[in-house]
Amino acid sequence: MNGLSLTKRLADAVFETAYLSLITLFIAFSVIPVIVAVVLSFDARGFIGPFPPTQFSLRWYESFMADSYYHDGLVTGLIVATVATLVSTVAGTFAAIGLSRADFRGRGALQAALLSPLVVPNVVLGFGMLIFASRLGIIDGMTRLIMGHILITFPYVMRTTAASLVGIKASYYEAALSLGAKPWKALAQVTLPLARTGILAGAVFGFVTSFDDVGVSLFLTDAFTFTLPVAILAQMRANLDLTIAALSVIFIVATVLLIVLLDRLAGLDAVVGRGVYGR
Amino acid sequence: MAVLELQNITKRFGGAAAVDNVSFEVGRGEIVALLGPSGCGKTTTLRMIAGFEWADEGRIFIGDADMALRQPYDRNVGLVFQDYALFPHMSVAQNIAFGMKNRGVPRAEIGRRIGEVLGQVQLPGIAERRPSQLSGGQQQRVALARALVTRPDIMLLDEPLSNLDARLRLQLRREIRTILSTFDCTSIIVTHDQEEAMGLADRIVLMNRGRIEQIDAPHDLYQHPKTLFAADFIGHANWIGGTLARRGVGAGAVETALGSIGVAPGAVADGPVTLCIRPERLALVDDETGVDTRLAAVVERHDPIGADLRIWSRLTDGTLVQSLEKNIGRELPAPGSAVILGFRVADCIVLPGARP
Amino acid sequence: MRRPGLTAALLWPALIIMAPLLLGPLLALGHESLKPFVGGRIGGNDAEALTFDNYAAIAAPEYVRYFLDTFRVGLISSAFALVLGFPMAHFIVRRAAPATRRLLIGGLVGTLFLSLIVRVYAIAMTFGPHGPLSGFSRLFGIASSSPDGAELMVVLGLMNTTLPLVALTLLGTLQNINPRLEEAAMSLGAPRWKTFFQVTVAMSLPGILSAGIIAYAFCISNLVVPMLVGRGFILFVSNLIYFRFSEVANFPSGAALSIVMMVVSVALFYGLLHLVRSQWQEAGK
Repeated sequence: MNGLSLTKRLADAVFETAYLSLITLFIAFSVIPVIVAVVLSFDARGFIGPFPPTQFSLRWYESFMADSYYHDGLVTGLIVATVATLVSTVAGTFAAIGLSRADFRGRGALQAALLSPLVVPNVVLGFGMLIFASRLGIIDGMTRLIMGHILITFPYVMRTTAASLVGIKASYYEAALSLGAKPWKALAQVTLPLARTGILAGAVFGFVTSFDDVGVSLFLTDAFTFTLPVAILAQMRANLDLTIAALSVIFIVATVLLIVLLDRLAGLDAVVGRGVYGR
Repeated sequence: MAVLELQNITKRFGGAAAVDNVSFEVGRGEIVALLGPSGCGKTTTLRMIAGFEWADEGRIFIGDADMALRQPYDRNVGLVFQDYALFPHMSVAQNIAFGMKNRGVPRAEIGRRIGEVLGQVQLPGIAERRPSQLSGGQQQRVALARALVTRPDIMLLDEPLSNLDARLRLQLRREIRTILSTFDCTSIIVTHDQEEAMGLADRIVLMNRGRIEQIDAPHDLYQHPKTLFAADFIGHANWIGGTLARRGVGAGAVETALGSIGVAPGAVADGPVTLCIRPERLALVDDETGVDTRLAAVVERHDPIGADLRIWSRLTDGTLVQSLEKNIGRELPAPGSAVILGFRVADCIVLPGARP
Repeated sequence: MRRPGLTAALLWPALIIMAPLLLGPLLALGHESLKPFVGGRIGGNDAEALTFDNYAAIAAPEYVRYFLDTFRVGLISSAFALVLGFPMAHFIVRRAAPATRRLLIGGLVGTLFLSLIVRVYAIAMTFGPHGPLSGFSRLFGIASSSPDGAELMVVLGLMNTTLPLVALTLLGTLQNINPRLEEAAMSLGAPRWKTFFQVTVAMSLPGILSAGIIAYAFCISNLVVPMLVGRGFILFVSNLIYFRFSEVANFPSGAALSIVMMVVSVALFYGLLHLVRSQWQEAGK
């Protein structure tokens, strides 16, 4: 082995160490807080004391179950997210297919406009929606929330569906036409079934975005209609106890279930895409 | 009567003409190949016949009907895509049933025809499989079956063999030919592969830069190319540039750097011409064989290509030429030896224009 | 003759639903932002003439500070996310066994799906005064109770989202780079680290910048993270807008801030993205 090769190997060893350290740091940073939250949720102490807890109990879970405030927020959040996602999924899927076929001038501008809520801060969208709704005389919290949440879920569904349409060869649709199917039928029987993974993924992303939203919802809730994150935020500012930790664990469990479900239904690889050289 | 007729079709993509004033007819039961290099307009022509592109000028007739207002689903054409476009979320049977359902074939009839057509393409018993479970060759035949089963007026095949490996290609070429003639189906095959066109088609429409270069039977296209492009695109050729010096009823002559070469009388205009001699018509000659033209050359290299040996020699003006000899163990002049290459007047094709 | 009917029919539902939801708030904000503010009442004064005073007020240094904090902290967080996120994406695409790959992608998507409030809460509990990693800030020579400590917490809180976002975006980039190119570099004598930087990173640069821009757009529009862990030392423009609404009910000023923030965000996002794309198209990619 000559000296040059030895130097290269040494450099590679340093590189490999740095590479693996960064990956370890990434995982540690993502996982440790979750573990801390889970452990704290079983803390028996009535205050936030030094970690780790000395005794364990289910008191924070009981306190969470007893609190109807969270329950109300959960129900409202689910209703808002479901309605907004349904509307966005239907309109967003159609729009994505329409844009993929369109060749008129201004197609790019229309697409950018429909995706723009992704870029504009949610606070701005929420504040704007509040003023807009009040000008229209809409003061009902549920209506305002659904309006705001359609605005933020739509781009997610459209973007994800559009991405999945890119992978569907135009020849499938053309083959259906050449076999005598009318355009609507070709879409319903060929394009939509082939895009279903992308549509499903988009709908899930949209639902999660809606359910988790704070920026828009803070402005559009009223005294009786509020979503879960808004309820948590209000409680956090009122009294910082470990009920939130118990709630976090429930969120974590729900998220894990959602991911497993998504993997079963669509496959995570299909959701994030495999690319040209993906294995 | 023609099943398909194209009249002066022109299609422009942003100014540039992709298809430029193309006209041809296809008769009943005929198999026609649209042949040409990529970008010559052959696929665009096919897509206009199928109804996916719209001609800027000219008209297309299928049977007696003008296609100008017909959507793809209103034309009774069968299309086989280059990538087959078998619907991945449907079984083979569902794929084949798709077109029949849209054309209102009764349910019982659909079932019967699926079995029948799968037998005809020699794939019995795969009706319930998914396209992803089939080999490339099987997918190709299912795609054929899916299009044929609707009894189209005309079949359109876009590069049907380009996704298959060489051995399979040869086998499927024969099978496609058999299947198409079983159905007595008028067909158009788009391909850039001259062997495929020669092996499959009754007639070849040779295209270049959006225009038709020549329409002829495969053999005639090879033996009697009318343009430099046609002679160059199909098969191998040796080229000798010159000027047509004498045109007569009996014979002509072309003045070249190698001297005057006698040619058959033809309709080629005066001025620069190029002589094209196919390698198999150029022979190593002992002095006394019955050739009309003899050229001195020095052998450079032998390339064995299976049944034949390709012999590269350099003429006295520096031109490199190739000739074919049967690979039958005969003693051939070694590289470096001086030889005489000869050909007959009839083997020498005179083409208008000079090669660039 | 092509029939445009179907394409239009597909676009109409989105247009009918989204046009009012997009334009309504925009026009309402624009109008509100031009109204003069009168203390003690909710919303601007309708009786008086429209004015640009609310915009002029934003140019004051105490407001500009919020913008600068937003952009600076966002930049730090996005940069760190790229440094950590790229090796992770590379590991998933090039090295991870199928089962590991699935687990890691599931973890990334899960982190993205998990409620932001929950994640920030977990960060606060972990790095906060009683948390197991409360000493983390001292590694950087920062006292956790200082303004810099608050900024560090905001950076960490934002990174909890930017990390999975960047890693997932870069997965797409790396999957489209031919692994044979890396093998070619190594067979030409380049050691691994050189191959990594001169081939992999260099070819991913447009994707890296795009991922950075997406992460940055997320950071600068954030409300929750500064609200929960900024301890008043670090506040973003989003927080300021929310205060205009919730604390002082100065709608015209909040609307003016919103319009400015919207214009800046959209311009930054599309401007930078356009810059990245045009730069790499010129280079023949």
